[in-house]
Amino acid sequence: MTKKYIDLAVLLFFVVMAVLLYNSTASYTGIAKTTSAYYVKFLAVFIGGLSVIQLAINLFRDKNNYRLHLSQHYPRFLGLLIMLIIFALVFEHLGFFVSAAVFIPVVALILGYKNYLTIIITTVSVLAFVYLIFIKLLSVNLPGFNF
Amino acid sequence: MMEYISIVFQPISLFTILLGTVAGVAIGGMPGLTATMAVGLLVPFTYTMDPTMGLMLLGGIYCGAMYGGSIPAILLNTPGTPAAVATAIEGFPMSQKGKAGLALKVSVVASFVGGSFSVLVLLLFAPLLAQQALKFGPAETFLLALMGLAGIISIADENSSLIKALIAGLLGMIIAVVGTDDMSGSLRYTMGYIELIDGIDFMPALIGLFSMIQMLELAGMRKKHEIDMSALHKKQKSEPMPKGITKHIALGSGTGTVIGVLPGEGATIAAFISYNISKRISRTKELFGKGNPEGIAAAESGNNGCVGGSLVPTLTLGIPGNSVAAALMGAFIIHGMIPGPDLFNEYADRTYPFIISLFIANLVFLGVGLTVAPYLAKIALIPPAILVPVVSAFAVLGSYALNNSVFDIYLMIAFAIFGLLLKKLNFSLEALILGLILGPIAEGGFTQGMIIGKGSPWIFFESPIAKIMWVIILLLLIPPLYSYFKHTSLLKTPDAET
Repeated sequence: MTKKYIDLAVLLFFVVMAVLLYNSTASYTGIAKTTSAYYVKFLAVFIGGLSVIQLAINLFRDKNNYRLHLSQHYPRFLGLLIMLIIFALVFEHLGFFVSAAVFIPVVALILGYKNYLTIIITTVSVLAFVYLIFIKLLSVNLPGFNF
Repeated sequence: MMEYISIVFQPISLFTILLGTVAGVAIGGMPGLTATMAVGLLVPFTYTMDPTMGLMLLGGIYCGAMYGGSIPAILLNTPGTPAAVATAIEGFPMSQKGKAGLALKVSVVASFVGGSFSVLVLLLFAPLLAQQALKFGPAETFLLALMGLAGIISIADENSSLIKALIAGLLGMIIAVVGTDDMSGSLRYTMGYIELIDGIDFMPALIGLFSMIQMLELAGMRKKHEIDMSALHKKQKSEPMPKGITKHIALGSGTGTVIGVLPGEGATIAAFISYNISKRISRTKELFGKGNPEGIAAAESGNNGCVGGSLVPTLTLGIPGNSVAAALMGAFIIHGMIPGPDLFNEYADRTYPFIISLFIANLVFLGVGLTVAPYLAKIALIPPAILVPVVSAFAVLGSYALNNSVFDIYLMIAFAIFGLLLKKLNFSLEALILGLILGPIAEGGFTQGMIIGKGSPWIFFESPIAKIMWVIILLLLIPPLYSYFKHTSLLKTPDAET
């Protein structure tokens, strides 16, 4: 999709959101009707209005007909993103240490790093640092297995 | 006064301050760990300590953490604390140019001056300033948030679209609306998620929008990430402070201290307002957003200026200047020292050494910053394939640690993906985060002001302070708007196009 059309879609989304936001203030009750509701209406009107203006500008002036790329190298970009989502999914079940012990080396390999010794040293250093500072010093509760 | 100074200069006192400050720098330097969290966690531990020592330890953490937030902001585009967002805007581009050492040096010197100035003000004028701060009501708080939001217009100076910057700022304010409505107590826009009852915390958003986007972009680069190595290999210690930086540090110190005195206002708003004013008065406006040390100087002296400022209403009136000051107030109370005039009379032998110890804490982080900064700057030399997984792991940990919530990790990832799309479409992420941080302050001031004004918006124009603030807001808005429209009209002329 070209940048112009993605931009238009996002702006259209903001306009729809503004309308829904404005209408939602009808359900405000009590003192919120004359306080919070006014504030939310103000935000809705302004973001809606500005989005409409920008939509009009884009429709008539925007000549960005090139494809929009979120990344120059999709395999690495998506690799990191997928690993990040897996990390978040297993974080609560396996805990930080087990998840990070897999996440850091795998992502380094996905990004094309081949020095295994550096990868191992870095992973162990990060885990040791988190253990000493977060667990031992600050008593932060991390989920899962924590030694 | 000499007897108070002698208490501070005892070896055990100096060691306590050193320990607290270094720990504070480390905590502030880690995204997700805040000064509030550290002070709050350690308050119970000071119960068994000598009260003066306990307070010195916590004061050191406060000072150190406020400075520490700037280190990852400059080196990794990951603000350690929300107050360091403005620092990241200028600091990270400097790192990319190989000037991380200079950026860190400017940051620590500005932090030191801002922090020391505010402590001096606390020492000399605390009771007087506290009385003035009481005149600051909800209407003025709302206007203060507007002053901070005026920064959005300045952000647009650098980008092509003023409208898109405004939309991004409003989007941030709308995201901040999610959660419990303070007026009615009912839930708004939570979509059934109990994790959203307290709203969207700005820390996952901050990490997602600044740090994670950076990592996704680094991971997806076709070519190797280029950094100007020549500047990194120079002796960073000998690099002089940029000329004309003093006025920006002075500006930030004054602004930070004044904003810090106002109850409920924080270092973030101080940093943004200082940054914004600095940009207006700078002779090198065009360098803002591309790595201008003046911006770092103003933002860092601004947020550290809040340290002493926030303790003014805390110690004299028992009204915490911000959340860290509230945690510190808890420490005073558990040691039987009720904030108020008694602190400066009955407990003067504890209060004054505590205040003086803050000067030492500032000196400690200055020393730490100047000696360690050149080595920290070498982080820029780490290969992206190692840096990306490590920073990503810390981003996940930082998002989780604040509320012990996995939901915050998902939020961080969502902010990173959506933020990257907005960035590619030339929406300003700085404006979005500004709206997200200042939105709750603006809403709180607006809604309370409307109640006091019985539904009339005139409350926002009535008091002399409000009138002065409107003038300042207009002064902040008109010049950048004028230069923006002048700039865009110039671009449209045939000569400019060719």
